[in-house]
Order: sequence, then structure tokens, then C-alpha cells
Amino acid sequence: MITNDKQTYKIEEINEFERDILRFVSPDLRSAIKRMSVKDLVSTEEIRFRVNKPVMIQNHRGSFFLETSGELKAKPENPVFASQEQIIKTLELISENSIYAFQDEIRNGYITLRGGHRVGITGKAVLDGTGIKNLKDISGLNIRVSREIRGCSDQILKFIVQGENDIYNTLIISPPKCGKTTILRDIARSVSDGVPQIGLKGLKVGIVDERSEIAACFKGSPQKQVGVRTDVLDACPKQIGMSMLLRSMSPDVIITDEIGSSGDKEALMQVINAGVKIVTTAHGYSISQLKLRKEVLSMLEEKVFDRLVVLSCKNGPGTLEEVIDGSSMKFLYRREKLCC
Amino acid sequence: MLLKIVGSLIVFVSSTLLGYYHAQTYAQRPQELKTLQMLLQIFENEISFLSNVLQDAFQKVSSCTDSSVAVFFEAAVENLKEGMCADEAWTKAVKENISATSLNSEDEAIIISFGKMLGSSDLEGQIKNIRLTVNQLRIQEQKAEELRSKNEKMYKNLGVLFGLAIIILLF
Repeated sequence: MITNDKQTYKIEEINEFERDILRFVSPDLRSAIKRMSVKDLVSTEEIRFRVNKPVMIQNHRGSFFLETSGELKAKPENPVFASQEQIIKTLELISENSIYAFQDEIRNGYITLRGGHRVGITGKAVLDGTGIKNLKDISGLNIRVSREIRGCSDQILKFIVQGENDIYNTLIISPPKCGKTTILRDIARSVSDGVPQIGLKGLKVGIVDERSEIAACFKGSPQKQVGVRTDVLDACPKQIGMSMLLRSMSPDVIITDEIGSSGDKEALMQVINAGVKIVTTAHGYSISQLKLRKEVLSMLEEKVFDRLVVLSCKNGPGTLEEVIDGSSMKFLYRREKLCC
Repeated sequence: MLLKIVGSLIVFVSSTLLGYYHAQTYAQRPQELKTLQMLLQIFENEISFLSNVLQDAFQKVSSCTDSSVAVFFEAAVENLKEGMCADEAWTKAVKENISATSLNSEDEAIIISFGKMLGSSDLEGQIKNIRLTVNQLRIQEQKAEELRSKNEKMYKNLGVLFGLAIIILLF
């Protein structure tokens, strides 16, 4: 019975993979990827196409070459190559023949697919004065598969909840690919729906989803579970979005991804001064490394955040490394100490 | 005698209808060109203000009117769904459906050339392309309007008079 359940779950997952990702890949490459085993297919984290180079697949075990037989090999024997035409065709399919609608996204170097999967683009930049106008001669695509893991933030939640109607201002620090966005999404869902086990009632949540990754909106409606009391401002720049939400939707908590650019601090302070809690993330390996970044350092010094959560990939993505009280800088949790 | 009268009536009616039908095509063409310009304006709004992708934008445009030219957009949506690129989808849609309209080959060339840049450039380029096509269609509309004022009445009268002439000859 259990195996049966697992099987159906996998078929669903494969169908989703096909609908959300493979549909946008050029036909030749699509059929090559389809030859992969089911197990490899559902564990794929990244698919990389580079002009005249072998196609590479990244999963939790590392990065592999895709063989024409569908196997994944650490050393290429007979790998599948991606040509420039195939890459351009893929980009055409991704943009649904409507480059004008994805102009700003291409300028930033990525497009977000329905389902929240991000496609990174490299090529030759066409300049417009100082800014980038377009990317041409596309040379590489990187499809990052986004996964929803319900319950992955349970461990963290108990550190950031204060009372039944409140949570702490939280900064999640994590290196790339360690499940930052996945955990943030799950926090949004839990806080919005409420978690009776730890005595948290549902709060009104506002998400500023600058890169359409957290809620993965498609035509305005979130494709991922972000909770019943959640309002999503899709594709809106963080700083503008936070003050828009503040004024218009009276949220209890505002959630946003990847802070650290200049101006973010003022926007955050505006939110906090209004008595609204914030949960956000930053790229980094540890707190000491994070302090090298001016914008973040000044926020840490002013004790903007009550909780600092550090993640790593040591035991797979989303490993909780440490939780620190932002005002006293004391450890509330440390993985290393517990295990040794 | 009765048979003769009935016969000539039939001749008269059919020749009049033929005249009216011919006049109708002259009246329809400026109307269709006008509608097409309007649809392109709606399309411009769809992509510039709402930033919709091609397929959605066309879908909306085609549902705006039931004029015979809306068929181009509808057919293009179907072609896009089959995975054709924008240019192919538009050209095929126009070529297959133009015979159902009163548009001539000159109009067809303009409408097809609109597809050449479709979807493949930034917003500015798209809008320029739309404006260019609309301007060209406006000129065509003026020409068609002139033709209509010249020919519409003539064909209507011609139909009636031709019918009468046959009847006179028969009697």
C-alpha cells in the first residue's frame, strides 16, 4: 500500500515536472531528459544547457553529465550536447513568443516559470547607456527546479513564535541552494494558516515576491501553498512593495526574499516602526561573514532582527545550523554542540 | 403570360441581388479595415499596459468583436498552441482566412508583414510595428472608402438596370 502511494505521488510529480519545466525545453533536449530514470528525474535540482557543451544535471549528490542513454555519469562518455539553436528555441518557448513581456526579467538575467522555477540566462549583453537593454547570442540556460516541502520549517518555527498572535522579526541566513526560499515559503504558509501544536493562531501575511519565487504566481494566483491569510504582491520591487502592502493590506507579518541592497534598510525600518513583523532572508554562510556587508551590518548593529537563523547544506538542504537571539547575540540553538 | 411574368421577376430579383452583393463587398472592405485597426489598438493596450503574452493578448483581442477579421487572431492562437513561432502562426492564420473577408491582396501583404516582428522585440519595437501597420491600414481604408463611394451605388444600379434590360429583351 505504502509503495503504491509513493508511486502515485511520483507520477503526479513527474506530470508536474513535465507541465512546468519540460514543456519549455526544445523537443530534442526534452526527449533526452525524458530518458532519465524516474528517480533521477524527481530529484533533479538544476538542468544546465551551455552552447556546444554537454547537458548537466545537478541533484543533491552533485553534478552529472546526461548521457544519451538517459543515465547520469560523473565522467562524460556519450553525453547529450546542447546546440545554440536548441537553447534559443528553449528560450523562445519559455518566453511564449513574447520577448516584450519578459524584457525586464531578461535584463536581470533570469525568467521565472510557472511553478516558481527560475531560469538563469547568459549571453552577450546589449547595452543601453549604462544599463543592460537585452541579452543576445544566448549561450547558457540554467533551470533551477523549485520544490515545495511542506513542514520543512517546523523546527525553525518554534524559535520564531512569540505568543499565540505574534512572531519575532527574523532573518534567515543561508548559502545558495540550501533551501532558503523553500523554508521561507513554508514559514509563510505556517504563520498564515496557524500552527495549533505550538499555539500559533493564523496571522495576516503579506508577501512581496519580487522574483515570483516564493508564491510562484501564475496569472496572479499563487501556484504554491502560501496559506489562507496571505496576500501576494507579485513581481514588485521589495522596497516599494513593502510600503505598498503596509498601507493597503494591513498585514501582521511581511515576508520577502534576499535583502541586502542599499535602501532595503529604510524600507525594513518603515515596516518595523509600523509594528508589523518581518521575515526575510540573506545570502551568507555565517553571521560573521554577513557582517562584511555594510547594509546588513548596520541592521544587525541596530538590532533590527530578534532572531537570526543560520542554515547550511551539511545534512542536506535546509539543515538548521544555529539560531541566535538578535538583541543579546546569544545562541538559542546550535547543531554542532548537540551532536558532539 | 403568367409564366413569362414570373420568369422575368426571378431574373429581375436575382440580378438586383447580384448587384447588391457586389456592392456589399465594396462596403465591407473599409469596415473590415477599420475593425482591424481597432483590434490592433486593443492589442497594443494588451501588451503595453497589461504586459500579456502573445497568446493571451490575441485571445482577448479575438473575443472583442465577432467581425470576420477577428478570425485571424483566433486562428493565430490555435497555431501558437501547436507550438509554431509567432511569425509562422500569424502568417498561416491570415493566409487561411483571408478568403472569408473582403480584403484584397494589398491588404493581405500589409497584415502579413505585421507578423514579421511579432513578439520578437522589446515593447518599443512592438508598438512601433503596430503603429506602422495601423497607419498603412488607414491609408488602405481611405482608398477603399473612395472605391466604395464610386462603386457601391454603381453596382446596385447596374444590377437593377441589367435585370430590366434582360426583361425588355425577353419581351
